[in-house]
Amino acid sequence: MTNTWALCALWVGLALAATLLAIWFKISTALSEIVVGTVAQLVIGVFLTGLFGFAQGGLAGNTQWITFLAGTGAIVLTFLAGAELDPTIFKTKWREASIIGLAGFFGPFLGCTAIAHYVLHWAMMPSWLCGVALSTTSVAVVYAVMLELGFNVTEYGKAILAACFINDLGTVIALGLIFSPFTIKTLIFVVVSIVVFIVLPFLTPRFFKKYGGRVSELEAKYLLFFLFAMGGLAVWAGSEAVLPAYMIGMVLAGTVGKDHSLIRRLRTLTFGLLTPFYFIRAGSFVSVPALMAAPVTLLVLFGAKSLFKAVAVYPAVRIHKYDGKAGAYYTLMMSTGLTFGTISALFGLNHQIITQAQYSYIVGTVIASAVIPTMIANSFFLPHHLLPHHQAGKKAEKEVMRPVPAEEG
Amino acid sequence: MGSPVFVGIQRILVAFDASPHAEHALDVALAMAGDMKAKLFVISVIRPPEPAESAEFHAVLEDGQERYEKCFVPLRERAKQKDIELETDIVLGHPAEQIIHKADTIQASLIVMGKRSHTILHRWMLGSNSERVLRYAHCPVMIVH
Repeated sequence: MTNTWALCALWVGLALAATLLAIWFKISTALSEIVVGTVAQLVIGVFLTGLFGFAQGGLAGNTQWITFLAGTGAIVLTFLAGAELDPTIFKTKWREASIIGLAGFFGPFLGCTAIAHYVLHWAMMPSWLCGVALSTTSVAVVYAVMLELGFNVTEYGKAILAACFINDLGTVIALGLIFSPFTIKTLIFVVVSIVVFIVLPFLTPRFFKKYGGRVSELEAKYLLFFLFAMGGLAVWAGSEAVLPAYMIGMVLAGTVGKDHSLIRRLRTLTFGLLTPFYFIRAGSFVSVPALMAAPVTLLVLFGAKSLFKAVAVYPAVRIHKYDGKAGAYYTLMMSTGLTFGTISALFGLNHQIITQAQYSYIVGTVIASAVIPTMIANSFFLPHHLLPHHQAGKKAEKEVMRPVPAEEG
Repeated sequence: MGSPVFVGIQRILVAFDASPHAEHALDVALAMAGDMKAKLFVISVIRPPEPAESAEFHAVLEDGQERYEKCFVPLRERAKQKDIELETDIVLGHPAEQIIHKADTIQASLIVMGKRSHTILHRWMLGSNSERVLRYAHCPVMIVH
């Protein structure tokens, strides 16, 4: 690559196009950027090779500065996801949340691993990675539906939301620990992490109170310092930088997470510069020819993900007596988060755990499981509250469809 | 006095998305509510991006709440000047779904909404909210062009 600014203009231009598409079709920017990245790589790679001097590797997604920006995007995005946790949820619903969340993680994790290994005949390590990538849950999708139907204030809604965080925590921990050899470095990483996670919630608000609120954006530098430092330690130990980022987000959710002004500034940095590089890069590694060569693989993985998520979550929810119509909503946990799904797949590709074809199938499945439920819902639109229901189901529906605010505390 | 067809209209629901079409619909609804001494309900729906992604979703939610709250300030003033009882609501979800649900909840006599001109592709991909409300609402619907 010879012209950094031209390459940068190309990427930002693609980000701009992706954002316009997201606005026109009311889809998430992340999804739009992944798709634009895939199409742009295909078009530029196939048709414009050699042009402008940067087309040798298509979008040149492995250029060092692009890798850095994309990696930082993943770290900050993961931090923001962790910071959205409502700590009070865990105080009352930690038991249900843990059981449902762990079931939601282990079901697809073990199930998809088994399917990848025994049905698709992938080697063991790629199969584990496939399991990790497809074990995630989109907290935002679940939260959106909860808000829409008013469940976010119910005991039921709070438990499911907390379960989603536990589910994703399982994914991040698995990603951070399964693929790294357990050495003295791992031990140092774990010990230092525990100390940092304990100290940060006490140190951060005091530090911000004393030095924060200035135009020099001390808060952003402070957070980035810890995110980079812990990320560096994680990588040194053979783990993944998003693991400490998610944990730091969770432990600071009660303090930094409530500072809307700071979170807003971080979002500007994240959406304006970092995440376009992350998602377009993730999309650019998807091989369309590989997907077209074996579409059945995609169907198998999508089926496995949906099946094992449902099989695992359903009994866990039943145990806690969430009955009737509630079933329709916990199945939302089947929706995969684009962020954690692609982070896991990219980790596998970067560490040569999976091939580009396997990466393409995993990312394809992640996108499908995020998009297909929405497409079905839009295609067969019918207002929820007008849906016909059986007399026997009425009692259960009343319990669930008319939310009762949870007791405070 | 309004025309005989509007006799008995006591609760008017306006779907408001801050677009010029919605502003126009709001003007019409305000005039009708003033004439008929009807209570005016205004609902604004924040539609999350699909599929929702965590950081973006929260940003869209906060942005929508702020934007609509700002729009409601002059609206409240206008309603006060015309002595119209006004209730505003900001909800999240599918616009058609939430408008119909709100209309059922408040037992609206009439839904007023603006008509947005979408491309064929847009209609095919996402459908038209006004068409969906027309199809499923349990009360008369007025589409203002």
